Amino acid sequence: MASYQVSFPPRKQGLLSVIQKLKGATEQELRIVLLGLDNAGKTTLLKSLASEDVNTITPTQGFNIKSVASHGMKLNVWDIGGQRKIRPFWKKYLENTDLLIYVIDSADKKRFEETGLELSELIDEENLKGVPVLVFANKQDLATASPASEIAEGLNLHTYRDREWQIQACSAVSGEGVQDGMNWICNNIVNKKK
Amino acid sequence: MAEDDSEWVVESIAGYLGSPEWIIPVTDFMENKCTVFDEEDENKLTYTEIHQQYKQLVEKLLENYMQEVGINEQQFLDACTSPFARSKTLQTVFQPVLATDDFQMFRSLMVQKNMELQLQALRVIKERNGALPECLTDGVDVMTELQQQEMRILQEVLKKSKEEYDEEMSRRLLLEEEVGSTSSSSSDRPMRDSVEAQKAAPAATQQSSTAKAKAEGKGESSSSSSSSSISSHQAPLMNGNTATQSELVNGKPTRKEEKKMAAQGGGGDKKGPAKSSSSASTKLPSERGSNCAEPKALPAVRVPVKGSEPSASSGPSSKEQSSNSQTAAEMWLDEARKEAGISKPYTELTASQKEQLQQRALYLRQQRDKLQALKKEQQKPKLPATPEETPTIPTPAPPTPEISAEEKKKLQKRKHLAEKLKEEVIKK
Repeated sequence: MASYQVSFPPRKQGLLSVIQKLKGATEQELRIVLLGLDNAGKTTLLKSLASEDVNTITPTQGFNIKSVASHGMKLNVWDIGGQRKIRPFWKKYLENTDLLIYVIDSADKKRFEETGLELSELIDEENLKGVPVLVFANKQDLATASPASEIAEGLNLHTYRDREWQIQACSAVSGEGVQDGMNWICNNIVNKKK
Repeated sequence: MAEDDSEWVVESIAGYLGSPEWIIPVTDFMENKCTVFDEEDENKLTYTEIHQQYKQLVEKLLENYMQEVGINEQQFLDACTSPFARSKTLQTVFQPVLATDDFQMFRSLMVQKNMELQLQALRVIKERNGALPECLTDGVDVMTELQQQEMRILQEVLKKSKEEYDEEMSRRLLLEEEVGSTSSSSSDRPMRDSVEAQKAAPAATQQSSTAKAKAEGKGESSSSSSSSSISSHQAPLMNGNTATQSELVNGKPTRKEEKKMAAQGGGGDKKGPAKSSSSASTKLPSERGSNCAEPKALPAVRVPVKGSEPSASSGPSSKEQSSNSQTAAEMWLDEARKEAGISKPYTELTASQKEQLQQRALYLRQQRDKLQALKKEQQKPKLPATPEETPTIPTPAPPTPEISAEEKKKLQKRKHLAEKLKEEVIKK
């Protein structure tokens, strides 16, 4: 929290920011980054958002992008692989992000601590300063899944003061809860951006 | 005023985006980096890195240009958001610029570029290995229309001279028979039947009678088909017929084949390298050099024909097909004449027109030689082929462009894959 210059929205300086404006002029777009540990269900969530088949998903080695139209806006969702060796690359995708979606495997209690560490590192990223966070407590269809409130507590979400945040229980496989999360995005981000 | 300003800026930038200063570095970049971009749904991490490099390149190029011309960022923004810049045509021009901020667009540009390069590579492979049936149709794209036309003209010219040669030879033989002597020695035609062989006469007679035939043949032009039917039964003519036939057979099916055969004309086919080349390449320069006024007299041709042994295997078949090929050759010739804008039959041409045609033939031959050299170089970099230097000495037939069945399969598979990918990309 050293430098607190408000550099939102145009973080990029120079010509490319101009190009950016030029493109965004016609259509409202939102850049959303989907992160979380491996096997959390990021790609499944992405495909579920895009109404695609979720039965043939393999561990992501690179990244996936889907553009979803929602509430009159174009949501460009970037799902980046969560394996440990890929995580160092996350920060290359954070520039100009409007929203961070963080996905947690609610049934993988052993890795709650690991996922919490990764999230807090992200929160400290310069490029994500002030960027709203939506946490999906995924895999609620599993019997061993922890409830969202418990996970929120473990992550210390209530201590976040510099941004809006939300935790949403969901099952990417069944689609349950996913739409509720999108509605929150719409109400809190999209409407404000417009 | 402001709108006029933006219009000027847009036009200036659009002009820059079409100039080599922009196109060359950007295309270079894309061609160098596109190889990792495939059609997989999932993106590789390296894509992002390459996109980043692309952004830097574009930014540098654009900034340099704007500085040079004196456009500031606000002008640029105004210009790009003006309705003028939003027209469909300009949008495509601006695509490479917009791709800096649109990864998906960038990706599709790169995938497309990769596809193009792959298809190009496939074509090159096919070209090198030749003989794939599918590549024949594909090869059409490789040759420009002009080249095709030139090849056709070359073929016509070669055919015509072949025809004339045949005519002259048959005339000569007829004359010889009248005189009671034939020109052919037994060594010239080991495969001919004994009746003809018995008529063998000293070679000296042949030379003199040839001169006569030459003189007689000057005035006549239209009896080629009738004389050829006679000639096909004569031994010395078999060589000529074979060559004509091979030209026809190879020239007809596709343009690609034509090109190839034309290119290999000097080298000849497997059966008798000396034959086709002798008629094609030795005659043209000699005609040009000394006999411009009477192109029907083809003195240089006889020497190599005499020297070369008739091919045993091609004898019977050439006999059967010679009349067919003769008529076909006439048709081709007519076409060539029409194309060249010359309406009169070849023999009625003025000397200058004839010379023109011969010059064209010579030029085409040189082109062909170059092509052949190039091909050989590609095939065997260690063996520099120099067909230009030795036009009369037939180069050995190049290794038949046959590839193993395995390779063929592989190629087909690759081609299939590429087509499928292409389809998918283009449909997107």
